[in-house]
Amino acid sequence: MDKQKQQQFFQQIIEQHKGILFKVASTYCPNDEDRQDLIQEIMIQIWQSIHKYNDEYKMSTWLYRISLNVAISFYRKRSVRTRNQAELTKHMDGIIADQDSEKELHLSLLEQFISELKELDKALIILYLEDKSHDEISAIMGISLSNVGTKIGRIKDKLRTRFSQLKA
Amino acid sequence: MNELELKNLWQSAHDKLEVSIEMNKKNAEDISRMKVRSLLGSMKPMKILVLLLGAVWVGVGTSLLSQIYLHAFSEANKFFLFSASIQIFLTAIALWVYVYQLITINMVDVSEPVVETQKRLIRLKMSTLWVTRILFLQLPVWTTFWWNESMLADWNLVQWILPVTVTVAFTCASIWLFFNIKYENRNRKWFQLIFNGKEWTPLMKSMELLEQVETREE
Repeated sequence: MDKQKQQQFFQQIIEQHKGILFKVASTYCPNDEDRQDLIQEIMIQIWQSIHKYNDEYKMSTWLYRISLNVAISFYRKRSVRTRNQAELTKHMDGIIADQDSEKELHLSLLEQFISELKELDKALIILYLEDKSHDEISAIMGISLSNVGTKIGRIKDKLRTRFSQLKA
Repeated sequence: MNELELKNLWQSAHDKLEVSIEMNKKNAEDISRMKVRSLLGSMKPMKILVLLLGAVWVGVGTSLLSQIYLHAFSEANKFFLFSASIQIFLTAIALWVYVYQLITINMVDVSEPVVETQKRLIRLKMSTLWVTRILFLQLPVWTTFWWNESMLADWNLVQWILPVTVTVAFTCASIWLFFNIKYENRNRKWFQLIFNGKEWTPLMKSMELLEQVETREE
């Protein structure tokens, strides 16, 4: 793939799958500025890995691996690069401002409970909530199918307990 | 809250999120044109610099010491000779670990499964601990290289108190650090003080993951 085609492919991937980047980033970084740094780091890693992509895996599997690996390991608060960052703006105001409704309240609670999970558990719950099959979760995480079921079961129990504690 | 409710809740949040995202297309274009370096890659220049400086040190040191061993052993100050030899030997071992780290950094592929990539990063971290442990072992020889045979003959007990105390203290500290710089002590203040800095941050982060990765493999 020549450089220009690679650039087009990259821009196309980002445009089509930006939701993955934002969901992973917003789960791992509650702070807006940190989240922008993380998204940029994920994009850099995607760009640097693009020549290695093969269609043996689904594009989403490949992107989740990169996004989660970067979010878990590479990210740190202080960016070491020269800030040549484009603005990635996210408006959460409308989502969490109105906490009157029960749904909005549950949503912010869910976000809070997920933020309390360990790094790898966060990854698993994102994939579970995104309705990924156990096969795909296994391929993304690199753990056995039976382990996927067990771990997700435990995390769901944790979340359920947290919600029920609030109701009690 | 049941599974369906959880998933619906998550989905509704991110549906709104996606609609409201102003993805600047220029951002993707910029990244594909800039010569950018990833965070892990940013560790490489420092490691290469250390490796080069270390190689020069070991190279020059080995060459000088070899000359002394071959041609002037009987006249040489044995304290200096043996202290310097130990120092050069330990530095050389540490350099090999740096070479291993550079190879590992190049081998880290973020598009591999999450647990596998994290394990590789943890191995990188473990080797960093080894560099530090080896380098701390050098502490005592920095206190003995200036000793000489005439000191043994001429100095009285009082004169020896300070240098011997310093050497014993450094020896104890280096042995203690050699055995205590390990994953289990990562939350101790002294440990975080030693591993505080740009070079260590990603490795400290991956250290925290060790337990999680291990439980994923049960």
